Amino acid sequence: MSTDLRKAAPAPADSPRPPRGYLRVGNRIALPVQRSSVVVVLCALAALLVAAVLTLTLGRLGIRLTDLPSAVFGGAEGKDAFVLNRLRGPRLVTGIATGAAFGLSGTLFQTVTRNPLGSPDIIGLSTGAGAGAAAFALLLPGVPVWIGAVLGAVGAMALVYVSTGTGFRNPGRLVVAGIGVAAISTAVIQYVVYVVERDAATSLTAYLNGSLAARSWSDATTIWVVLLATAPLCALVSRHLAVGEMGDEISASLGSDPGRTRTAAVVLSIVLAAGAVTVAGPIAFVALIAPQVARRITRGAGPRLLLSALTGALLLVLADLAAQQLPLFDDLPVGIYTMAVGGLYLGYLLTREWRRGSL
Amino acid sequence: MTTSVTSRTGGTAPVRSGAARSVLCLVGALVLLVLALFASVMFGNMSNSFGDVLDVLSGDGDSYLTTVVESRYPRTVLGVLAGVCLAVSGTLMQGVTRNPLADPGLLGINAGAAASIVAATAFLGASGQSETMGWALPGALLSGVFVHLLGSAGSSTSLVRLVLAGAVLTAVLTAFVQAVTLSRPQVFDSYRYWVVGAFGGRDFSAFWPVLPFAVVGLLVALVLAPSLNSLALGDESATSLGTNPAVIRGTGLLTATVLSAAATAAVGPIAFVGLAVPHIVRAVGGVDFRMQVLLAALTGPSLLLFADVIGRILLRPQELMVGVVTAFVGAPALLLAVRRMKGGA
Repeated sequence: MSTDLRKAAPAPADSPRPPRGYLRVGNRIALPVQRSSVVVVLCALAALLVAAVLTLTLGRLGIRLTDLPSAVFGGAEGKDAFVLNRLRGPRLVTGIATGAAFGLSGTLFQTVTRNPLGSPDIIGLSTGAGAGAAAFALLLPGVPVWIGAVLGAVGAMALVYVSTGTGFRNPGRLVVAGIGVAAISTAVIQYVVYVVERDAATSLTAYLNGSLAARSWSDATTIWVVLLATAPLCALVSRHLAVGEMGDEISASLGSDPGRTRTAAVVLSIVLAAGAVTVAGPIAFVALIAPQVARRITRGAGPRLLLSALTGALLLVLADLAAQQLPLFDDLPVGIYTMAVGGLYLGYLLTREWRRGSL
Repeated sequence: MTTSVTSRTGGTAPVRSGAARSVLCLVGALVLLVLALFASVMFGNMSNSFGDVLDVLSGDGDSYLTTVVESRYPRTVLGVLAGVCLAVSGTLMQGVTRNPLADPGLLGINAGAAASIVAATAFLGASGQSETMGWALPGALLSGVFVHLLGSAGSSTSLVRLVLAGAVLTAVLTAFVQAVTLSRPQVFDSYRYWVVGAFGGRDFSAFWPVLPFAVVGLLVALVLAPSLNSLALGDESATSLGTNPAVIRGTGLLTATVLSAAATAAVGPIAFVGLAVPHIVRAVGGVDFRMQVLLAALTGPSLLLFADVIGRILLRPQELMVGVVTAFVGAPALLLAVRRMKGGA
């Protein structure tokens, strides 16, 4: 009995506290803050800022770096005003929030499913959104495309949920069911692209790849509202999710309801992804990769919501920068770049996991 | 049909296995195929009666009727070709990988064919149906081999691994295809008509270049069938029976890839036929691979032709492409199969 006690309680009262501070707000809220993660988050923010500045300044139409502070804070005139307020400003602001939303969505989903592949891309959400958008474009041309996208996404997820029989838990079933749903969705998309006129088909295909081109401030407002409205809820769910990683029984004994936590996280994840799809189309692989990168940077357990959001934003802004500035093709949808890079990264990830024998 | 035979044999053991059953299955499949062929030349935007078709076939039909019926010959022949190729390919693939979900569409073959066609049209100036179709074959072959290498790297081949390897390759190649097609409208136009998978609007020029591959593939499949039977007993038993598992697997996969690449080249990507037919064939005709290959070669075309006929009737006067019909029939079957998957697979 005494030996057990010594093992179980290695930290007597006078030992130094673990290197962890608390950000206290009043008496009831105390957010644990680790110094290392603060540094990482600050680095990510700095990188995002650099990417944003590059987005605004590079290229023939770019605002000169020396003019940027006055243009942003003091109000711009002439060409700079056009670039900042119409051409690249809304696109950048939309991109940041969209990337963050995809990153958050992916993190929540991957944590719930305990499956590094539980992302909107793999399980058919993106293709479902595309099919919804395509079907609405064909059948009800007057209705905004994003309504179709949201309905398609929700429908696809419902179908996957029903057909696995075990909800979102079993990775193998999830992947195969996602492929089935994606096949139906792809058939719908291809049919629509086949029957409509070429111009309509081209613009539909561009949307279905996910694009940030020609976004307006109202798009930016939409996605920021979704992001800011769900962020507090995500923070709330995140604590329960971290507890949930210890297993259902332990988390139940610690006072959180694992079933409710899971449902809440999935719903939040779908809302975030649907919001992002609404403004930018189903951009591939950002939701899959952002959480993975965040996890590799911090090497810790538990969902890293803030960092995943920042990584997602950074990834998307960088990809969009490439889409705008690479001379290879003329202003392709950003989704094509994320698809190519994400596919390669997924391949790397899989071969690594297989070598370890963990999949 | 089965019931009538069993009742006639009366008190003796019902005909459940052996030669009688095999013959019965083959005859049944053959009858089905003949019905499918008739349906394919009968129905369409303008439907004819059975008598009309017989008249045309015997040379008595009036010229208008003859034109209508004969205009459906190319798509019927293409449907038979694609059906044979896809069904036999799926049977081989499932036999070799022992993976009930092995389907050419899931393993990157379609994406490879698409990327190859798009690249040839955009950068090498390939034009016209037969020329571009010819490019589908090498692309499909390359990507099929690549997915199998990537998916079988490491300790063991698993279902999820192969499928994911296919998804990876598909993603990268799709990005390439989208990039090229979106920046070149002409390429986009020919691509979007090819990618949906359809029999309509194609003529015999899509048929002849692909035929040799299909014939050779089918023959190799028939030759391989006995070895696949011993392979099903496990690698050790197969070796002691005098077959070399590695050689059989390699040849089987290569043949399967060639067959599905040939079908994809001729009519575009068509999902789920290669997945579904082997399951149907096993359920009806048993596990003997000689039987499976033969039955698949007869059932695949019937399935595709009926799907095509449904697509023609459903939205008349418009047509639903056969690739869309098979996806809508096949994907729900896959979703039902998911429920019966054991464990994480």
